[in-house]
Amino acid sequence: MAKKDGDHRHEPAPMVDEVSEFEILEVAVRELAIEKGLFSAEDHRRWTEYVHTLGPLPAARLVAKAWLDPEFKKLAVEDGVKASLEVGVDWVKDMPTQFGTPSDYCNLRVLEDTPTLKHVVVCTLCSCYPRPILGQSPEWYRTPNYRRRLVRYPRQVLTEFGLILPSDVEVRVEDSNQKSRFIVLPVRPEGTEGWSEDQLTEIVTRDCLIGVAMPTPGVTANVKLPVHPAVNPVPHH
Amino acid sequence: MSKPHYDRDHHVKKATGIGDPQCFKGEAGAPKFKVGDKVKIKNLPDIFYTRCQMYTRGAPAVVAALVYESPAAEDEAWDNTESPEWFYSLIFRQKDLWPEYPAAYESDTLETELSERWLESA
Repeated sequence: MAKKDGDHRHEPAPMVDEVSEFEILEVAVRELAIEKGLFSAEDHRRWTEYVHTLGPLPAARLVAKAWLDPEFKKLAVEDGVKASLEVGVDWVKDMPTQFGTPSDYCNLRVLEDTPTLKHVVVCTLCSCYPRPILGQSPEWYRTPNYRRRLVRYPRQVLTEFGLILPSDVEVRVEDSNQKSRFIVLPVRPEGTEGWSEDQLTEIVTRDCLIGVAMPTPGVTANVKLPVHPAVNPVPHH
Repeated sequence: MSKPHYDRDHHVKKATGIGDPQCFKGEAGAPKFKVGDKVKIKNLPDIFYTRCQMYTRGAPAVVAALVYESPAAEDEAWDNTESPEWFYSLIFRQKDLWPEYPAAYESDTLETELSERWLESA
C-alpha cells in the first residue's frame, strides 16, 4: 500500500495474510467447547503445543531402517504400528490422549513402492494424515485443489511436484478415507550404496513419505512450491 | 428439572491402552468377502454423513486386504457403535473411475477403504 509523503506512523504488518472461513469456524467451535466445559483452554494449549513437537523424522528413520534390514521391512509392511515402536512412536499409548493419536486412530500402513509401482497419498474427504509419525500436514496437502485433482489427474499433479513417471510405472493413489493412515516406503535410490542409517534418513523427506517426491542423494529439502498471494487479504489499516 | 446426563466417556474407556480401531476387534463376525474377491460399490443413500466417495459408487473393485473391524463411519458419526463391520481395502482401476483417463496409463490404480455395507459381489 503506497504511503503519503510525510506519513511517519509505524504500522505493524498483519500477523497473517488471510483468515479463512474454516479458521473462523474452528475458533467459534473451540470457544463454545471451552464454555461448555468439554475441555479447558489449558487442555487446548497443551494439545496444540504437543502436536507441534511432532515431525517427519521418525518416519524417515523407519524408511532408512527398512532399506537396511529386510526383516524390519517385512515387519513395517505387515504391522506399521509395531514397526513404529522401533523409531520411538507408540500409536496407542503416546501423549496426549493415551488411547490413540491426535488423529484418533492407530492403524498405520506402510505402502511399499517397487520399481514398477509408485504410491501417493491423499485424503479426498478431509485431510487425514499420519500425524504421530509425520507431524502436521503441509498446507498444500489440505487444499481442495490437491485433494480433488490427485485422484483424477495423478500424473499431472505429480508433474507439478517435479515427478514425471514413465507409463510402465503403475501410479497407485491411496485415498485415506477411513481409519488407516499411510506413509510411503520408496525404493532406495541408486548412489546410496554403503550409506549409514543417519545418511539415508536425511534424504527421506516429508514429500517422499507422502509420495509426491522420490528420495535423491543430495536432496534433503521438500519440493519448493510457488506461494500465491492471499485471495481475501486481511486489510492493513 | 435435572440436567440431562450425556455419556461422553464410553469410547475413551473402551479404547484406552488398546487403540481405535483395535478395540472393536472380534465384534464384526464373519467377513462376507475375502482377499481377491471382485466387488461393486453400492450407491446407498447418505443424507447425513458418509465417508464413501461419490466417485467410487457403482465402480468395480478387487479386495486387496481385510484391514480391521469398526463401526461404519456413517454410524459412528452419531455415536452408534452397536454393529461394527469389516473394513476392506479395495483397489480400483483408474479407467473404471474416470472415463477420460488416458489409455497410455491404463495400469494406474486407486486404493481406498470401505465397510462391508457398501459392497456387493460383482
